[in-house]
Amino acid sequence: MKTNEVKDIIIRLMEGDEPDEGLLLKLREAGADYSFSEGFTDRVLASINKTAIVINRESEFLRSFSNVFYRIALTGIAAIIFLLISIYISQGTISFDSFLGLTDANNESIISVLTEN
Amino acid sequence: MQKHANKYKEADDSELVKAAIEGDSNAFGEIVNRYRQMVARTVKGMLGDTVFAEDLGQEVFINLYNSLSGFRGEAKLSTYIQRIAVNLTLNEIKRRKRFFSMFSRTDDDEVIEYNVADDSDNEGKRDAREVVNKALMSLEPKFRIVVAMRMLQGYSTKETAEILKLPVGTVLSRLARGQEQLKNILKARRYENQ
Repeated sequence: MKTNEVKDIIIRLMEGDEPDEGLLLKLREAGADYSFSEGFTDRVLASINKTAIVINRESEFLRSFSNVFYRIALTGIAAIIFLLISIYISQGTISFDSFLGLTDANNESIISVLTEN
Repeated sequence: MQKHANKYKEADDSELVKAAIEGDSNAFGEIVNRYRQMVARTVKGMLGDTVFAEDLGQEVFINLYNSLSGFRGEAKLSTYIQRIAVNLTLNEIKRRKRFFSMFSRTDDDEVIEYNVADDSDNEGKRDAREVVNKALMSLEPKFRIVVAMRMLQGYSTKETAEILKLPVGTVLSRLARGQEQLKNILKARRYENQ
């Protein structure tokens, strides 16, 4: 098809509420149509699979990270409870001073410890 | 893959969507096969026959895959895919416009043409495609999209309005202005050729 014919079809296709199917077909047959290259579908599916693998890996990492965090947190809480119980048993009270081991100390003895006199 | 995909050849869109949501990649492959040309017409019609358009085409289907569970079937699957294609393409055009404006280039430079080699084309076909390509690329994006929908997809004014979520009147006026611009562009090119 000559270039001028293609141009005329393009202009005529814009007329009316609906395009003329015959003209549309002519234009496509003349080569004015687009398609993706060979293997497009396979490339799309490969990209999707790759993305899915990355997402799976990320979620696996997050899952194992949260498991480790959960275990550390539990161990920490157990250690704190154990410490509080041992303080209560040895000092008979749970206070900030007993936590620091200062229940029996008076100011003078602390000063003498700090100044080494 | 192709053999397995054949079982979906006769399936309707809703069956394919259901199977694809359940993780059947063959069903999704059939969706891609069914609508790849439609997406190519939109994306390449707007961006030109470039390798970027191929990549964007892939992105359209990846977006579709990720949003498939949200597809409620209120619109046709083709309309849904077309909307994704149009939105991504318009975003890409905006991105390019921003990129090129940093280098003080004109709007006409927004399309980078890297023609994908296609040995099957004969010269006549390549000429026709070039005329269409150049005509479309000379239009402003807001006119280009309605013209491409009409010229490449064969959509009616109503269908275009539905896909672009625009009033029919707006589509009509853009189509008329697009046609006017096309006439001038093609006429000028005709004189150039003589």
